[in-house]
Amino acid sequence: MTITRRNVLLGATAAAALAPIAARAQTKEVVIGVIYPLSGSSAQIGVDAQKAFETAADIINKNHDFKLPLAQGEGLPGLGGAKIRLVFADHQADPQKGRAEAERLITQEKVCAIIGTYQSAVAVTVSQICERYQIPFLSADNSSPSLHRRGLKYYFRAAPHDEMFSKAMFDFFDAVKKKGAKIETLSLFHEDTIFGTDSANAQTMFAKERGYKIVADIKYRANSPSLSAEVQQLKAANADVLMPSSYTTDGILLVKTMAELGYKPNAIVAQDAGFSEKALYDAVGDKLEGVISRGSFSLDLAEKRPMVGLINDMYRQRSGKDFNDYSSRQFMGLIVMADAINRAKSTDGEKIREALVATDMPGNATIMPWKRVKFDEMGQNNDADPVLLQYLGGKFVTIFPLDVAVSEAVWPMK
Amino acid sequence: MLTAETIIQSLASGLLMGLLYGLIAVGLALIFGLMDVVNFAHGEFLMIAMYATFFLFAFFAIDPLLSAPLVAATLFVFGAVVYLLIVRFAVRAKANAGMVQIFSTFGLAIVMRGLAQYFFTPDYRSINTSWLGGKTISIGGIFLPEPQLVGALVSIAAFAGLYFFIHRTDFGRALEATREDAGAVALVGIDKNRVFALGWGLGAALVGLAGAIMAIFFYIYPDVGASFALIAYVTVALGGFGSVFGAFAGGIIVGLVEATTALILPPSLKSVGIYAVYLLVVFIRPRGLFGSM
Repeated sequence: MTITRRNVLLGATAAAALAPIAARAQTKEVVIGVIYPLSGSSAQIGVDAQKAFETAADIINKNHDFKLPLAQGEGLPGLGGAKIRLVFADHQADPQKGRAEAERLITQEKVCAIIGTYQSAVAVTVSQICERYQIPFLSADNSSPSLHRRGLKYYFRAAPHDEMFSKAMFDFFDAVKKKGAKIETLSLFHEDTIFGTDSANAQTMFAKERGYKIVADIKYRANSPSLSAEVQQLKAANADVLMPSSYTTDGILLVKTMAELGYKPNAIVAQDAGFSEKALYDAVGDKLEGVISRGSFSLDLAEKRPMVGLINDMYRQRSGKDFNDYSSRQFMGLIVMADAINRAKSTDGEKIREALVATDMPGNATIMPWKRVKFDEMGQNNDADPVLLQYLGGKFVTIFPLDVAVSEAVWPMK
Repeated sequence: MLTAETIIQSLASGLLMGLLYGLIAVGLALIFGLMDVVNFAHGEFLMIAMYATFFLFAFFAIDPLLSAPLVAATLFVFGAVVYLLIVRFAVRAKANAGMVQIFSTFGLAIVMRGLAQYFFTPDYRSINTSWLGGKTISIGGIFLPEPQLVGALVSIAAFAGLYFFIHRTDFGRALEATREDAGAVALVGIDKNRVFALGWGLGAALVGLAGAIMAIFFYIYPDVGASFALIAYVTVALGGFGSVFGAFAGGIIVGLVEATTALILPPSLKSVGIYAVYLLVVFIRPRGLFGSM
């Protein structure tokens, strides 16, 4: 083949056309998929989550003086300062939509990792798709214990799961009992998807193990138009502690219906979810003085670790709300994932997975009360210590474990 | 654990809820009876009514009990406009008219939800300090929440009013006549578009009334209509398509069945009871209990 002038010209044109792409590839961006319910019955969670992730991306992409991984300097130094770009997808709380959206994020948006999903039921399908495409998936805020026990290689969770949370609750019961309060009977009240079911299973297991009697175990349909029949059974059982595992809508209706049917529980210890949402306290907070919820975050921590307060301010500017148990875990989710990508120095799924496996982030480099972030062989971080918070005088204070408690628990609730 | 008290309480709660279900559903039955169109945006009409009540309370401190007529009037206009701008054209379709009607109202539902989420945000709202909110009457250990009690009374009054209206007024007769034979009424000089528009307005006003009452004790968000709409459809199907009285009876049956199912089966299966009863009705009387064919 002879090289003519025309060939040279063509080649040069092609090279010129490709040049910007090559240049872009150098200062490339790292695309991460974030999948949440942005419409439908839990849209409010997704919209708040979006703000939490944007806050984390802002801290990573711009220079901030926090003792948080990647806060100092711009972008990911391991990838030549590449910036994080988030692609949000809406799963509408539907596992099938979650599956389709995860596939779209991976094949069309070319994300190198996915974070999600609020509802554990959706995390099941999203993580399966990620496993198939060998893309790491991080559960920012899913708490069902069964999630990390499915033998998935690309599944990770930095936050505690419901067995850890439930264990903290029973440790707390034991401690309260030692002080002379009467706790013998429990009522479980849980919704019928994987979150409520797993939570109730864990609670049943601990109750058996530690000799508490479950006098009512009520599984209800999420988003029910009425909960009077359910509340009536709770009232008839009148246990020493009511333990709800409910999302926001059902939580609001539960509290309203309890008041309407004249049921005043001795104490409520909630499995988070709706019970850490501002919306619930705006609606029925006056009836909830002294309610206890588990959590993995507490704003109290700002006193010991000032960056928690400063980052909370950044989040509040975006969302108009303080960090809660969910938004704080979502925020940390992106930090943990970005830290791994940075160490992987690559956007290859397998390399990121290896970096995640090697993660060892000290607790004081996070905004959580955790010991550290280090994943076990199933992708679960067992060093994420849960806390119990009590709603007193219009805000949450940490009451358990005792070494981080800022206030003594009020028992029974008012 | 099945004491007399729990059974009476369940039946009382079921009855109160059932009367409200009836009030929510009757607009659907009315519109269907009038022109054989199922309004798939019915739940969204309820949602708009709840938001209207909420905003009247939040901005003008008008108690839901006072704003209920206002909300009903607003929904009346809204329903009539929906007919004139959308449904009127949908029923003109020459082919696949049924499908066009379904998708036009279904599309409306999705648009309304989307707009509500965009303008009102997906936050959960609720009215905390109304005259009736959180108040409850206790009679011998049986608790009757006042909002639901008033809701039940409003429902009974609305049905009584509707009965009188359909059977004793000229417009009611025009409504009945149009429903029997829309072509024939045109010959005697009744404008069928006007009757249909007023029918849609009336149906929407009734669900508006229900929404105002519900706003007292239920949370409000863009998707709130979905679960109630489902109940409204089965209520109408159970009571008989197009029958106003059927919606009343259907609502009560659904409320009672829901409450008693939860006494016997795990509460997560309470809607199973409703549909089991419905299937039974289909088996014995496919047009619904009070449906006429």
